[in-house]
Amino acid sequence: MHTEFDVAVLGAGIVGAATAWHLAQQGARVIVLDATGPAAAASGASDGAVSVASKKPGVLARLATESLLYTRILAKNGPLAGQFHARSSWYFATNDVELEALDALRAKLLALDGPVRIGQDGGADLLAGVGASVRRLVEIRGEGHMTGYSAVRAYLDDHRIARRWPAAITDIDPDTTGVTLSLAGGDDLRVGRVVVALGVSTPLLFPEMPVRPVSGHLIITDRAQSGALAGALTAGAYLIAKTSSGTGPSERPVVIDPLMTGQMLIGSSRIPEADAARMDFTTILHLVRRAAAIWPALSERRVIRTFVGVRAAVQDGLPIVGPMDHRGRVVVATGFEGDGICLSSLIGREVAAMVLGIAPTPALDRELAALSPIRFIHTAREAAQ
Amino acid sequence: MHDDRIMVLGAGPAGMAAAVKLAEAGQRVLVVDQSAAPGGAVHRAPLPGVTASGLPAHKRRWSALMARAARQVARIDIACDTRCSGVDATGAVLLTGGLTRLLRPRGVIVAPGARERVLPRPGWTLPGVVTAGAIQTGLKTSGQAPAGRILLAGSGPFLLAVGAELTALGTPPVAIIEAAQPLKPAALGLPISYWAEAVRYRLSLAAAGVKVLTGARLNTISPGLVANITTRHGKREFQADLIGLHDGVASNDTGLGAQSAIPIMRAGDGREVLGARAAMQDGTRAALAMLATLAGRPAPAEPTTLIRQRRAQARLAQLYAHDEIGALNSLPKDTILCRCEGRTLADLDALGRAPTARDLRLTGRFGMGACQGRFCAEWVAHFSNTQDLGRPRLPLRPIAIADLLAVPTTDIGD
Amino acid sequence: MTGTIFWQGKPVPFQPGESVASALNRAGIRAFGLFCGIGQCQGCLVAIEGRTFEACLMRCRDGVEIDTARVTDA
Repeated sequence: MHTEFDVAVLGAGIVGAATAWHLAQQGARVIVLDATGPAAAASGASDGAVSVASKKPGVLARLATESLLYTRILAKNGPLAGQFHARSSWYFATNDVELEALDALRAKLLALDGPVRIGQDGGADLLAGVGASVRRLVEIRGEGHMTGYSAVRAYLDDHRIARRWPAAITDIDPDTTGVTLSLAGGDDLRVGRVVVALGVSTPLLFPEMPVRPVSGHLIITDRAQSGALAGALTAGAYLIAKTSSGTGPSERPVVIDPLMTGQMLIGSSRIPEADAARMDFTTILHLVRRAAAIWPALSERRVIRTFVGVRAAVQDGLPIVGPMDHRGRVVVATGFEGDGICLSSLIGREVAAMVLGIAPTPALDRELAALSPIRFIHTAREAAQ
Repeated sequence: MHDDRIMVLGAGPAGMAAAVKLAEAGQRVLVVDQSAAPGGAVHRAPLPGVTASGLPAHKRRWSALMARAARQVARIDIACDTRCSGVDATGAVLLTGGLTRLLRPRGVIVAPGARERVLPRPGWTLPGVVTAGAIQTGLKTSGQAPAGRILLAGSGPFLLAVGAELTALGTPPVAIIEAAQPLKPAALGLPISYWAEAVRYRLSLAAAGVKVLTGARLNTISPGLVANITTRHGKREFQADLIGLHDGVASNDTGLGAQSAIPIMRAGDGREVLGARAAMQDGTRAALAMLATLAGRPAPAEPTTLIRQRRAQARLAQLYAHDEIGALNSLPKDTILCRCEGRTLADLDALGRAPTARDLRLTGRFGMGACQGRFCAEWVAHFSNTQDLGRPRLPLRPIAIADLLAVPTTDIGD
Repeated sequence: MTGTIFWQGKPVPFQPGESVASALNRAGIRAFGLFCGIGQCQGCLVAIEGRTFEACLMRCRDGVEIDTARVTDA
């Protein structure tokens, strides 16, 4: 049966957009479909950190390192021109647990020996204006910031990429010669292969994939007169929350992030929740209290709005990337839990290669194998027996 | 933190009527309002030493209501100078200012009154261009008119009211520019009270020699506040020092109506613009509905008086109908639509034929400013053929971090 | 108390209980961005002692110094 497209990418978030661009680069006829529109979920409500420091040591930290390097290349002469802004950032500690986390961060970055390096490391006097409870500051150099929504638009601003939204997929049916996609409203679309980059919506089509939403409250302030804070200020507790599977310190982690507009972003909670759209004042008040203790200049600002971002989290803390079965017509790329923007450029390249049967980057073989969805399919089969 | 009171947002006629009805039924009530005293817009309290303006019949009804409230002093708490940032999904209400608390009332009656619609026009963001309502607010509180030549323009009976109020203070406007031609035979179908009010205004304006141009449109405002008008007979210019714009009234319904764990009901102009007369009745209706809901009973039917007011408002709307869409569609592309972020019609066109709400907000920046689209959402929706800019986010208006830090820790819990 | 506020250094009288917007507007000062007058439009933001307030909701206090809070876009 004739296929209208070589590949359909389901999901117009940052991972879907990056994959679509890389597919087009390889000459594939590609279409992106989304139930709503570009960056409608996690990618459009994110803090935009392109960060290696925040990643779990091991697979994710190594992939993030490679992705950061690749993102810089795409930003220099490629689709991400003007999207990526290099900047330093700071991690801080206010208690012993966080001090240990900063030590672990040092060790991790030294072991990676990559583009991300420790700059200054010392007491609160390193950063004028920081609150009295800060005991240590570590400067991270080499990372950057990229606005999710804007990067998505940049990838998709390419006439080679077809697009269709709003278009919800109700069924995926692969066979020996292609894949039939059923759309809400009755249409069918016949394509060669499919990439599933659906983020929190993954369980709608693949209930066996343990992807669940984790919401994060984010706060935006008005514009400051002068920017004394040049890069994000992140709690060491954030490193612990991300690197363990659920057991975190009693302190809520906080990030204070100066945006390009001069406004400040304060985040974020981590609330495992099915209904990710619920804003509550208690969480906002806690976050603001903690943020103002760390950066007292915030007391002169006003909160303009808050919103709840959502992240697609996976039960074992690793994204799910790879072919769903030996035929390889359906490749999934989801569950990035807040790391999507950082990993998107590399994942986009590698997933495009997987789909087209091109050899992936050899140095990343082991890391990518660790992300394979087979780890859940086997488990589901065992559970069914 | 859990409060056995029912909260009422807005101490205008609808809010106070709801509070009084609840208290008379034995409930404890907390009324909050951002102003220094109850009254809302129509009964806006004047500063000390200033006589309250307003029609005698309205003032009598208000005095009677406040007397009933005074008798319920043990049950009604009123917190003025208090800003409400919204009701979150869990039923928590954030208050700052005169009363700074995070409270969980049993229910909330939302009576924030009406807001003004103002059409975008070239020059509408110049200093000295305000809403007619802003002029009225100043008049009612200070009892004095602002300095200089004042022009009122747009459409709606409110322009006549403000013009008459300025005239009563000895500072009549230089002109009133009305886009519609409301003096039609259908006007005879309006209630007598509407007629009486309109005739009073027209007589006092005529006596002061105020030009009231109907079928006339304020097209552009040039720097130096020169207003360029198109009348039925040609073009005119007016030099002004202050221009008050007004293109109709709508409910002030921004964000306060989303689902919550507690019952939320709207009352007064904030629910449906029916005017001052209906506001008190609607407040009473809302109180009865709240009592019924909290007791698990169905809400009582709407009183027939509201139906009469609705018909009168519909007739007014007919009389004041004019080609607003034509005016919008002839705006030059560099006209600012989003005042907060300075975004123009050209910026909106650049988003393409059918921008999503995300496109409008994240790329277009429409509605991303401090007012969250209150003054531009309607126009952006018109020009982009989309549903809307999306729900406003909490807090409903910007809130100072210093105020957030002042919320008692016992309210926040852990 | 009746008194004087200072707008960009210039003295402006006010009546007891009056808002900053009302006092400025009556004095013919229009550059502070008054529009809706009831705290909805966020156009009349002013800076007082390093903090930002709506002039139309802020009551005058004798001697207080006020400037525009407008920050130019980056």
